[in-house]
Amino acid sequence: MMTSNVYLQESSSGSYVLAKLYDEVSDKHLAMWNATWKPALEIHCKGRALVDSPEDYHWDWKWKANAWRPLLKYHFYSIMCRGELQGLMLANDTTTARLPEQAGKPLVYIEFVATAPWNRAEVQRPPRYRGVGSAFMAKAVQLSNEMGYSGRIGLHSLPEAERFYRDSCGMTAVQRDPGFLQQLMYFEMSEKQAETFCQKPRKS
Amino acid sequence: MDMKETDKRTMTLNLTAREMAVLEDLAAKKDLSKTGVMKLALRLLQAADSKVQLGHKLMMEDEKTKEKTELVIL
Repeated sequence: MMTSNVYLQESSSGSYVLAKLYDEVSDKHLAMWNATWKPALEIHCKGRALVDSPEDYHWDWKWKANAWRPLLKYHFYSIMCRGELQGLMLANDTTTARLPEQAGKPLVYIEFVATAPWNRAEVQRPPRYRGVGSAFMAKAVQLSNEMGYSGRIGLHSLPEAERFYRDSCGMTAVQRDPGFLQQLMYFEMSEKQAETFCQKPRKS
Repeated sequence: MDMKETDKRTMTLNLTAREMAVLEDLAAKKDLSKTGVMKLALRLLQAADSKVQLGHKLMMEDEKTKEKTELVIL
């Protein structure tokens, strides 16, 4: 199992805390998702209309992992901090770029990425840790470079996360995709944008 | 057998001149090394085969005409 160090910002103190990013989602991680993350989301969503629930409420990570782990094109990642699961990501390395300057070239497509419920302002104030999304985005760019894709990555953003991908990650909003029920916005990071993103100061 | 992502295996691949020309053309188009193209092809074939094993058909659709053609995977 490959791991790397990442730093998350503890909201209550503002200090940075060492965390581990794993190049896998193990059965242990899935058990933690089932025992802590899923119940926390269920408590938050109890009595709420579906439209007021977090957009990833229905994501079943156990099902995703069991169905897709055998396939080479999928890459699973998890972040652990102080013995708790803090984030999960699933990326796919066989998708094609859409931005005109890189159309037709392969990229790493982020299928699903989520931070634990206690790291979300809409669930807990203040959220416990910040920086899970940025750590995963940096990992996706790294994977893209390792695959020979020059940092190119893409994803469909849930509405609440659009600002993060546009402003914090510097990605280009390409188009709303009618193929998705919610007409999600498709974002793409070019080679140049990936370079700029990687040069941004980040605790490491 | 325990297989880690860091474990690398080496193989020699003999291609015909035509196959090599196609590989080089794809590598140029996709901005990948020839190894990168072969690895991408392996991933795509495995993904397609996993669907075919479940009884799915692999279809291509013309974006304009919506005409569908089936790709045959052996």
